[in-house]
Amino acid sequence: MQSGSDGPTLAVLEDRSQDFALTGTPKYRTSMLAIEEINRDGGILGEEVDIFAPDPQSDNMLYQDLTRHAIYREDVDAIWAGYSSATREAIRPIINEHELLYFYTTQYEGGVCDKTVFPMGATARQQLGAVVPYMIEEYGGEIYTIAADYNFGQLSGDWVQIIAEEHGGEVVDEEYIPLSESQFGSTINRIQSADPDFVMSMLVGQTHSAFYEQRLASGLTDIPIGTSTNMAQEYEHLRIDPPALEDVYAGVNYMQELPTDRNEAFVERYYNRWDDAEYINQEAQNNYFSIYLYKEAVERAGTFETDAVIAELESGIEVEAPEGDITLDPETHHMEHNMHVAHSDETHEITFEDAGTIGPAFLEEVGCDLTSEAEQTQYEPGAYYEGI
Amino acid sequence: MAGVGLLNFGFEFLEIFAFIVLATVGLAVIFGMMGIINLAHGEFILVGAYATTFAFAAGLPLPLAMLTGVVLTAVFGLVLERLIIRHLYGRLLDSMVVTWGISLVMIQLVRIAFGNAAPGIGIPFGELPVVDGPAYYLVLGVLAVGVLGGLYALFMWTDFGVRARATMQDAETARSMGIDTDRMYMSTFAIGSALAGFTGALYAPVMTITPQYGTGFLVEAFVAVVVGGSSVIVGTLLASGFLGSVNAVFTNVTESTFIGLVAMLLAAIVTIRLMPDGITGFLETVRQRWGENR
Amino acid sequence: MSHGTSDELQARVTGLLGGPNVMGNSPAFWAGLAVAVALLAALPVLFGYYAAEIGSVFLAYALLAMSLAFIWGYCGILSFGQVAFFGIGGYAFGIVAINVSTMGGLTLGLVTALVVSTLFAAMLGYFMFYGGVRDVYVTILTLVVALVLHTFMGQTAGGEWAVGDARLGGFNGMNGVPDLGIGVGLIGYEFGIAAHYYVTLGAVVATYLGLRVLLNSRFGYAIVATREDETRTEMFGYDTTFIKFAVFTIGGAIAGLSGVLFTTQNNYIDPSVFGITAAALPVVWASVGGRTSLLGTVGAALAIQFLDYRLAISGSEWALVVIGSLLVFVVLVIPEGIAPGLHDLVVSRRSRSTSAESPGSDGGANAEEVSD
Repeated sequence: MQSGSDGPTLAVLEDRSQDFALTGTPKYRTSMLAIEEINRDGGILGEEVDIFAPDPQSDNMLYQDLTRHAIYREDVDAIWAGYSSATREAIRPIINEHELLYFYTTQYEGGVCDKTVFPMGATARQQLGAVVPYMIEEYGGEIYTIAADYNFGQLSGDWVQIIAEEHGGEVVDEEYIPLSESQFGSTINRIQSADPDFVMSMLVGQTHSAFYEQRLASGLTDIPIGTSTNMAQEYEHLRIDPPALEDVYAGVNYMQELPTDRNEAFVERYYNRWDDAEYINQEAQNNYFSIYLYKEAVERAGTFETDAVIAELESGIEVEAPEGDITLDPETHHMEHNMHVAHSDETHEITFEDAGTIGPAFLEEVGCDLTSEAEQTQYEPGAYYEGI
Repeated sequence: MAGVGLLNFGFEFLEIFAFIVLATVGLAVIFGMMGIINLAHGEFILVGAYATTFAFAAGLPLPLAMLTGVVLTAVFGLVLERLIIRHLYGRLLDSMVVTWGISLVMIQLVRIAFGNAAPGIGIPFGELPVVDGPAYYLVLGVLAVGVLGGLYALFMWTDFGVRARATMQDAETARSMGIDTDRMYMSTFAIGSALAGFTGALYAPVMTITPQYGTGFLVEAFVAVVVGGSSVIVGTLLASGFLGSVNAVFTNVTESTFIGLVAMLLAAIVTIRLMPDGITGFLETVRQRWGENR
Repeated sequence: MSHGTSDELQARVTGLLGGPNVMGNSPAFWAGLAVAVALLAALPVLFGYYAAEIGSVFLAYALLAMSLAFIWGYCGILSFGQVAFFGIGGYAFGIVAINVSTMGGLTLGLVTALVVSTLFAAMLGYFMFYGGVRDVYVTILTLVVALVLHTFMGQTAGGEWAVGDARLGGFNGMNGVPDLGIGVGLIGYEFGIAAHYYVTLGAVVATYLGLRVLLNSRFGYAIVATREDETRTEMFGYDTTFIKFAVFTIGGAIAGLSGVLFTTQNNYIDPSVFGITAAALPVVWASVGGRTSLLGTVGAALAIQFLDYRLAISGSEWALVVIGSLLVFVVLVIPEGIAPGLHDLVVSRRSRSTSAESPGSDGGANAEEVSD
């Protein structure tokens, strides 16, 4: 059989090449850091943890094959995999078939209600719930939404509308932009003529980040931008020259700059381990704490057996994450995150405004309760809210 | 009001037109003149962008940094031509697979060498009044037309141009006339590479630079080359003008970038169907027919 | 039964399957092929479900590869958009099978998927070949078609993009596609993991034999003649436009079938199958394996995907560098591809020394590639 198949094995499938390498590499690195730390401290239940960490190359077909390999050949106990929602959906049929414990750590559109899946990232509603009310309060209620033209972007656009209405704001116009677009002249023109109080940006990926440079050169920096995608994922504020991200406000559960002692120690450990690392993005932190969360659940259960571990995860378990102490919501398998509004000034210095603890409210509303019913669904807001 | 709207529209057209021309021109020279389908075209652009951004970060003024980008890409193209590409002349489809392989290798090598992101360069020249857009786009537009004009002059009016064209049309005869065809291939490929490097340099401030940077140019470039047809320079100009207008009009009327993009791709499909030899091939046929009828 | 009849039968079968248009006509070749197929058939027995699941995916790629080798290698049409039919087949199956959730639905799904991808290929083929689109323009046009599908499918996330119960699902893809099966109404048989593997393997073998028969028929000669010299073939009275149209359509049907086999294995399909990376893969397989050899292309698809997979498992950052360099190397050193290169080698060696003990031609090479 495979080497070390008697001890626990964790699969970490994160991209280190092609499209998602920028966001996948930090996820891979914090996962390695967590597992190495755990092994140094005596492993889980006294056993050293083996790692299966291939490079899926941002390729969904490869993800599917590698997930099968992790299940059949490596006999892994749990899996951390994938940046994009498409990847999650590509491997979820296989995960479901084998009832594998799966931690998906990217911030995402929300709504996944699945017995063996634990989405550790903040949902669109959690992130937008932090930033949209703040922006309406600070700047006024007229919103212009620009978002990437795919599932995450479209659903995020819906959430902006719902949350804006709840807080007395209004979306004056919205525009969905293909992921391959790099020239934003016409979009910027339309924003200028609509002259909203602020823009909500759910642009995604390295092609879209060109928007910020073009925004600066078009004199659009006088209109502030709220976002759930930029800065905390692809660290645009470090990759792009200031002041292109002046007055960009991101709703986040974590950014590397978070000024707490616990986080600063974490950041130091990370850069000691990976001295050429570029950033710790939100999902990298999520990988890190969720591996510790898994360890805690296994040790409480006293076994690596999936059902027992899930039962412990569903017991209101808490973890000391770099972002703060946070709790896993048993019914929805999502985290109740400590949310912040991160603000970038004209030198791209980041400051934080506390937005409190925000839970996965939407799944609670639709009645997702995995402790009593083992579903494998993804809910969408369109079916539950009028007029979107 | 209507005046401003028209100006805005013109400015949007200029942006997309310049982008297509500059994305295409290097590929058009290499494909149109040498019959090499360079799927690594985007990565040639990548070399230009990386060289520019690192030269700029090292303290060179932007124009010099851009020049560095152009020169380094030309040198890079030259080396690649000697090592690999020269074995592929006359093997159109093989050239596609080989350059695809080169593209995979280069993206990953750049990632290994320089990490997942490169330092940014701000867009120079600030903002234009009235249209509220980057003044730099005017520069790009002028340079796009300038590059085409320069190439036209080079290939039509200089001794080098005549010899290069002779080589591409009939290498055998050209060689018997005493032209060093090997050198002609080499220099034409270097020119194509330099043009790609120029594009990379010019767009380094406009787009954020990552190892995937070059892939953002590929679709527009290939579509425009094919729509343009056999005559490289006029073809690039006409195809960019046509595809750029389709994109700008549809984006503007529907207020949707998605529809603009799809309309442009569909327009390309229809054009190829109606004019299988591209716009310039079609014009050539029309001209001949007209000549016969006279 | 007399010995003569079986010889006669053998001669008829060889006449049907063999001929100058395809490589591998010797008994040694057929023996090698039989061994290769037997080895593939033994994989699930030897390595269990794992091999069956991964193998099904790779064999679906192999079928896609064969569709391109057929139209490119034998008719000279380089389609960069085979994945368009592959994806359309997958989506069409999903739409029907999700809506008609009976055993009959699975059969109907398969039939519909084949019909839709064939029709789409026919429409595109008609549009191109009867409009005089040629050579590299066909290549780019087919690529653009795939990219349009990619862009379009990517934005179909909203609830309004649904056919009955089947959500197209945008970038996140179409979920909940059932397994493949056959049946009428509620009665039938849904293929499990092993059965799906053997169905896929059977489809590959049947398509291979079917294409050999086709290529050795009168029509097959016309196909190859069209590739060699279109104008001259036309002067001999053949309708080369129709030949190209027909070949392209058949290629689309095969690609559609491979898409169904792929989608039902993963129970999922997403727009990345239309993307430029996916679109390039069949071209790479055919170039490396040798587009004029159906088996060479199949072998290359299996070998390259397997290598890619092993390199990914290693987690090495050099994986893509290795794959890319290998492509460059193979195409530069063996321009016509591995299988035709080997074939020439074997044939020339045979003609030099008439000893008959040389190992099978590309069948033997293929068996070696597959079993690694």
